[in-house]
Amino acid sequence: MRDLILIIKKELKELLRDRKTIINSIVLPTLLIPILMFGGIKVSQMIQESNQQKKVKIGLVNAPEDFMQLVQKDTLNQISAYTQNDDFKTLIEEETIQTAIVFPSDWKRQMDSLSTATVSVHRNGTKDNVNGRVSRLMETYTTQLKEKRIALLNIPTEKMTPMVQQYVEVGEQKELIGKRIGGFIPYIFILTMWGGCLLAAIDLVTGEKERKTIETTLSLPISKFSVLMGKAIVASLLGFIPALLNLTGLIIGLNFIDDIPDTFKVALTEMLSPQSIILILLLLIPFSLFLAGLIISLVAGATSFKEAQSKASPIIILIIIPLVMALMPGIEFTWATVFIPVLNIGLGVKEIMAGTINIGMYAAMLLSLLFFAVLAIYFSYKKFSDENAILS
Amino acid sequence: MIRIENLTKSFTSKTGKGFKKETVTVNAVNKVSFECKPGRIFSLLGPNGAGKTTTLRMIAGIIDPTSGNAIVDNIDISRGNDEVKKRIGFLTGSTGLYQRLNADETLDFFGKLYRLPEAAYKERKEYLFEKLGIHDFRKKKLGQMSTGMKQKVSIARTLIHDPEVLIFDEPTSGLDVITADSIIDLIRESKENNKTVIFSSHIMSEVDLLCDDLAIISNGSIIYNDSFDNFKKEMKADNLTQEFINRVKEA
Repeated sequence: MRDLILIIKKELKELLRDRKTIINSIVLPTLLIPILMFGGIKVSQMIQESNQQKKVKIGLVNAPEDFMQLVQKDTLNQISAYTQNDDFKTLIEEETIQTAIVFPSDWKRQMDSLSTATVSVHRNGTKDNVNGRVSRLMETYTTQLKEKRIALLNIPTEKMTPMVQQYVEVGEQKELIGKRIGGFIPYIFILTMWGGCLLAAIDLVTGEKERKTIETTLSLPISKFSVLMGKAIVASLLGFIPALLNLTGLIIGLNFIDDIPDTFKVALTEMLSPQSIILILLLLIPFSLFLAGLIISLVAGATSFKEAQSKASPIIILIIIPLVMALMPGIEFTWATVFIPVLNIGLGVKEIMAGTINIGMYAAMLLSLLFFAVLAIYFSYKKFSDENAILS
Repeated sequence: MIRIENLTKSFTSKTGKGFKKETVTVNAVNKVSFECKPGRIFSLLGPNGAGKTTTLRMIAGIIDPTSGNAIVDNIDISRGNDEVKKRIGFLTGSTGLYQRLNADETLDFFGKLYRLPEAAYKERKEYLFEKLGIHDFRKKKLGQMSTGMKQKVSIARTLIHDPEVLIFDEPTSGLDVITADSIIDLIRESKENNKTVIFSSHIMSEVDLLCDDLAIISNGSIIYNDSFDNFKKEMKADNLTQEFINRVKEA
């Protein structure tokens, strides 16, 4: 144990003197979430503001007077009149107009006879702002017409309204938001964990080979297992610390960044209670050890940093796919998914944040992660003991 | 004391492309036997790839022999190489130092791992720093040191636990004459202190200066093993280098 602590101390001292490690494992993870939150909010605000001030060029054909008045109410709408035969596709492509609304030539007759008329809207489906504003215009106009018809037919409004839907939310705000955004949280910290573990494991194994110190380390009067465990623990620490700093960054961001909607802020603060944080961090301990063991076993035979990166990097796919699956609707935290690494963390964190975690399932997940961590350490020890691989 | 009997090391590798792979086993060291006595310097010479480093790595407990045995300071390496490692100071071209630590931190790390008593360790460290002239750069990180400075720190870490057995593989390679001389001096001092020393070098003048017993290894097998005096007596060539070349070629 004493030897293991000495190895850990020495490896940590070496790694923390490397500027690259400090930036990747400490500075970036701490700042990542506040920057993402602050940047995201600012960018969406800017987009919204700029969209609201944008002019929309609308081409109208056979538009009735009341519709023209409705369109003109918004001073940002620029109206041009066209005939039915104009080529609206070219006009929109050339940006002469952004959308065209074509009413039938016998619109008045159809309205008077209370028929259903077809109004064509020529548009480019990718222009969300224009299409959204035109849709709102059309909805308002349709409502106006409906009300006129109801009045004309002398039908009481309640007779035309057979049902009013009223939603009574029984789920807590925390559960609602937790299930929706809880899946994104592990996305961030598992990826930073991976980055931290990868850099540290490569530096501690392949880096030692490149710096010609691996033989010096192996000549020490301690077992290869202690050396390997020291490296794996340090690599997992360098993965765990960024995840911890991610969470710290999230909490700092929530407390210091304005403009976060209050309901969202309250729900997130409630989700990140000390109990939730402890439950999440407990999962990350065996998981970071699993990642460290896995990466060490992959890079043990590599002779250069580049080779090690090319050997370990493809594994990121095996991490991203389960994380994406955890965000998919229909995939739930069940006894079947509780044993699948990464997917279980993605789903489990969602449940923890929503406050709906089943403690029995949580314990099973923790045990399965411990099992995978032991397995990964075993394989990394096998590779680390392979003289051909480690002294190549 | 080191006694080696029929030490063999085989490496297995897979060759070939696609699904057709062949397993090839090569004996890097083949039934090597020799003995190094305390108070004497034993030179192990051989061309590159002869099996010298593999032999030294087996003695130092870094790799396990395929067969044969080695007794180092009365301990059989097959019975736990961590005990052997405590008794050995191992320095080769591939035992580099941790670049981000300074000389003091490096020796502290080794001293603690060798479980040296605090007072004895400090005294030993100061003695080695004095002897090798490390004081001036003891707080400098190894990555910022010159080759000579690094080699001095390497020698200090090899000797910090005052081991009974010392293995030096090309300890003066790439060093200036003054630094090389201080290292030669330390190797001589180890001999005077009754240590068992294995010294390997391509610089024949150093071999001539230090060697008591000699073994030449070629293609994984020992082709000569006797005292250096006898080697010199049997010499047919004009100088040591030529005699060494001739012996390797004849083998």
